[in-house]
Amino acid sequence: MSLAADLETAVFDRVPQRAVSIVDAHAHVGPYSEFFIPQCEPADLVRVMDRCGVDRAVLSSHLAIQLDARSGNEATAAAVAAHPDQLAGYLVVNPWQNPAEELARWGDDPRFVGVKLHPDLHAYPLTGSRYAPVWEFAERSGCLVLTHTWTGSPFDDPKHLGMVADRHPEVVLLAGHAGALPEGFDQAIEVAAAHPRVLLEICGSYHSGATITRMVRALGASKVVFGSDFPFIDLRYSLGRLIFADLDTEDRIAVLGGNASRLFAWRGRPPADDRPTG
Amino acid sequence: MDGPSTELGRRVRLTDVSVALGRHPRAAAGSVAVKQLLAMMDGFGIATAVVSNLASRWHAPAAGNRELVEMLDGVDRLHACWTVLPDVCGEIGAADEFVERARTAGVVAVRAFPADHRYRLDGPDLTDLHGALVRARLPLLVEASQTSWEAVEAVAHRFDGHTLVIGDVGYRSLRTVAGVLSRCDNVYLDISYLASHCGLEWLVGRFGAGRFLFGTGSPLRDPAEVVTRLLWSELDDDAVTQIGSGTAGRLFRTERKPS
Repeated sequence: MSLAADLETAVFDRVPQRAVSIVDAHAHVGPYSEFFIPQCEPADLVRVMDRCGVDRAVLSSHLAIQLDARSGNEATAAAVAAHPDQLAGYLVVNPWQNPAEELARWGDDPRFVGVKLHPDLHAYPLTGSRYAPVWEFAERSGCLVLTHTWTGSPFDDPKHLGMVADRHPEVVLLAGHAGALPEGFDQAIEVAAAHPRVLLEICGSYHSGATITRMVRALGASKVVFGSDFPFIDLRYSLGRLIFADLDTEDRIAVLGGNASRLFAWRGRPPADDRPTG
Repeated sequence: MDGPSTELGRRVRLTDVSVALGRHPRAAAGSVAVKQLLAMMDGFGIATAVVSNLASRWHAPAAGNRELVEMLDGVDRLHACWTVLPDVCGEIGAADEFVERARTAGVVAVRAFPADHRYRLDGPDLTDLHGALVRARLPLLVEASQTSWEAVEAVAHRFDGHTLVIGDVGYRSLRTVAGVLSRCDNVYLDISYLASHCGLEWLVGRFGAGRFLFGTGSPLRDPAEVVTRLLWSELDDDAVTQIGSGTAGRLFRTERKPS
């Protein structure tokens, strides 16, 4: 059977998929004030990952992105320490909460494999000077930076992403949600096409198999990365789009996990196992 | 619950209560005719569907309803869902007359778009229609974004025998949804975008699988989302079957179409 058939059969048979290595490059952990999340602790996440056959998730704690980067990054580190084979962490840098200090504290800690920025939640533009220590760290280390993007935002519209990529062409930038809104997908694609180290991550309420396919065909599969945003949004809604999307085998492997394994390799973590990762 | 089996597989019978034909004006959703819809259903193992016409939402409700009946004529797997309006302008006819026409045409549910069509779900102009729907046992489908939960609850309380199916719930609403479901036994959720992480399992644990219906939200939503969500849920096979088609079978008269 083809990979697509294997994956679809696993869904229809209600069993976890085993055919390919899946890495979720956009996840969180912990409660969130705006709404109730029934299952959001680290063990809950790993249980659902096992249910579906997702090998790894790279996460930032909701505490870190919402309230307090310092204690939130501690929560992320603890979650990764509890599940080192399945979870990895994003170091959240809040531009109002001592970016340089936070990077110095955690920059060498192998539990963190990327930096996460959330300009919308922190009400500070991605292009602002308070993020300077992040770009310096990323240029020096090769660390990937995942940033929230939202079309029309005064803080992290895709155009802000393009401006940062112009200034820091060596930094690997992952555009969380790829602009998030359908009217911004074209612009996100244009920014990624114009900048070799800008990639698109595909979680959010407005994506579909068709939008993922469009991004892959426009940019090549190497520039599109699976993320779910769970437990903000259920893992399975996001993953289902990609499982059933009209992609060939190599492209599906790359987007599901191959690209993420490559992007996070700067930290020296091995792939989950020897299944295809692109 | 016993947890998911490895045997249910494609034997899960799915009834899609939230799908539409036609052309969407605000998304790259293509133009969906009966042939494309049936192909989509086959691809995802969906046996039957309750279908609206996008023309009723985005252009002319009454004409769209008539067109829908013509499009579905002779297609046993597809059941019509008409769009309702208040009758204050004489657009769809008096409530009882409208419902009788709907029944004769094989309509199994109706859908309201209070926000798009500029009226109140719980307003006095819809009172007669709610009453007629209750008498005819025709469920009313509404997307959460088209009304307020307060209006849903008000209608649910005022019309005891009504069946209200709310869709497009999203992932930010559990605090509100749980309260409404606990107070209103006649409110049900279409899971086409019930996207709270593990929210489906949590809600089913509280209210039972019989309060939930499978729907894709196609063509605006990707059916792959909810198919994967339901089949890879942590619910047991009985609950999945109930949500997949059992609840719809109990609430909607989809057994046979008029000849």
